[in-house]
Amino acid sequence: MAEILRTDARTALHERPGAEQSESRTLGANVVEDGRYMAPPTDEDGKQWVRTSVLIKGEPRDLYGLWHNVEDAPLWQEQIASVTRTGEKTSHWTMQSATGTLEWDSEIMSDEPGHRITWRSIGGDSENAGEVVFEAAPGGRGTYVTVLQEFRMGKLASTFETLTGRNPKQAVIENLRHFKALAETGEIPRTHGQPHGPRGAAGTVKSAAYAENVAQPPGLERMAS
Amino acid sequence: MKAVCWMGKSKIETLKVPDPVILNPHDAILRVTRTAICGSDLHLFDGFIPTMEQGDILGHEFMGIVEDVGRDVKNLKPGDRVVVPFTIACGQCEFCHKGLWSACDNTNPNAHLMETAYGYSGSGLFGYSHMMGGYAGGQAQYVRVPFANIGPLKIESYLPDEKVLFLTDIFPTGYMAAENAQIAEGDTVAVWGCGPVGQFAIASAFMLGAGRVIAVDRIPERLELARSLGAITVDYTEQDVSVLQAMRDLTGGMGPDSCIDAVGLEAHSNQLQGVYDKVKTMLMLETDRPIVLRQAIQAVRKGGTLSVPGVYGGLLDKVPFGAAFGKGITMKMGQTHMHKYMKPLLERIEKGQIDPSYIISHRITLEEAPHMYEVWRDKKEKVTKIVIDPWAEKAA
Repeated sequence: MAEILRTDARTALHERPGAEQSESRTLGANVVEDGRYMAPPTDEDGKQWVRTSVLIKGEPRDLYGLWHNVEDAPLWQEQIASVTRTGEKTSHWTMQSATGTLEWDSEIMSDEPGHRITWRSIGGDSENAGEVVFEAAPGGRGTYVTVLQEFRMGKLASTFETLTGRNPKQAVIENLRHFKALAETGEIPRTHGQPHGPRGAAGTVKSAAYAENVAQPPGLERMAS
Repeated sequence: MKAVCWMGKSKIETLKVPDPVILNPHDAILRVTRTAICGSDLHLFDGFIPTMEQGDILGHEFMGIVEDVGRDVKNLKPGDRVVVPFTIACGQCEFCHKGLWSACDNTNPNAHLMETAYGYSGSGLFGYSHMMGGYAGGQAQYVRVPFANIGPLKIESYLPDEKVLFLTDIFPTGYMAAENAQIAEGDTVAVWGCGPVGQFAIASAFMLGAGRVIAVDRIPERLELARSLGAITVDYTEQDVSVLQAMRDLTGGMGPDSCIDAVGLEAHSNQLQGVYDKVKTMLMLETDRPIVLRQAIQAVRKGGTLSVPGVYGGLLDKVPFGAAFGKGITMKMGQTHMHKYMKPLLERIEKGQIDPSYIISHRITLEEAPHMYEVWRDKKEKVTKIVIDPWAEKAA
């Protein structure tokens, strides 16, 4: 977990006007360690991993704050019905899908304000662990937000996959996309609820195949209503 | 309300559907006053664009009067007259900041479908398949406009709808094609395809200083419109006409400084399994389409520029990349960065530099739209551009 700075690096290149200044830290979600690209962990022993990353126009500190406020997670995470704080580091999560409810408790393992959060489930219908890292993008272009999520495939995974047309890996990717949209624009793009002609059987099947039957998170609209 | 709905391949119907409502804080609802059928809509009609669903409302070219706005739309109010860009942009992401509006990161709810095909997703579009967002289109009496704080252009001067309607897509698309062609004063520019986008590419090429424009097509009314703008026309179906020979003959043997492919190979994507084979089949059937790209690469002068506003969707066979490298050409392409062009082009219309309504051949009602899709597809009735008044009961 040590922070690695490449201050002793020997280089023939003495000018890098646009290059990033600090080196990244050695964490599980890290994409770069000591100048080397690190591939995401591979699935094994019943564990599945997904790592995904976005550039968000914003400061690491503010984005960390938005993520850290877990009770707002239903605004941007798919099918999360509610999150209740149960302690300083613990919260209770309820996920509502078309035909079922999943509940679990979650605990924050480590918390570096403005930079990093890790968590894991501590009982319930889901076995998962995750990490999110916020770091300034090179060139002052915003913040790279990288999420690493680990699952044990159980009830959660099968329910997700069969009922929602989203597997849990894709759900992590979509949730980070929603987080970005909410942080950058104040809303999450929405098409559910717009008019259309009769869909027929084929249209309904297609819609499910494109995962359009997954409820689009409300964004800040929920706050207004 | 009444809306033109895609009900399957070659099956378009005007149906009664619910009115749109505000769904997000930056939404607006418009009462549509004019909308148009785009050449690219014909490919939806023909069933070439994957991820259409029965019941989808068509149309990405429209304008109207603001009826209602979401709580975070501060720049528009009910009663404002606006033209809406066909691409939807959030205005806040890295791409919008760079002026690459059609690459917006935040407006396609189905981005994962495009990511599968292209690596990354572009912005959402109105009425143009679910991989492009699945947004309801504007060939209807009302339409919901997301990110209305960013896209719609207010028309405050007195200009009839028909003169400003084409700011919604085809005029900016033709203009960006000419800008991408990197035209220097006096250059010779060749334009393949004299449909609406080709027309505006020709007009824009002259606006940007072209000394000579060569226009290639086969349809007499289109070639006539091109000549009316001052272009020299080449009808490639005439006996003994070789397009490549014509390009040499018209440029002292040097080739055009810039070539614009306003034909494209629309309607293809490697989105779904097996589409590669479909594309290959199409290449053999629709022979004129890949030929344009190949011809343009072959025709352009050494160190020249190839600009591609024509839509390509999937994989192409036998593109002469060696010729492109050997001559050191520049290629520029892509969906139009609408938001960058609408205002300056409105100013050109207001100053009387161009009247985009010259391409309109047909004015129709919503009820007549399904039939006119067929007429245009079959290249009958000398269609150059069809405009719909969604509130008209009978054709004007």
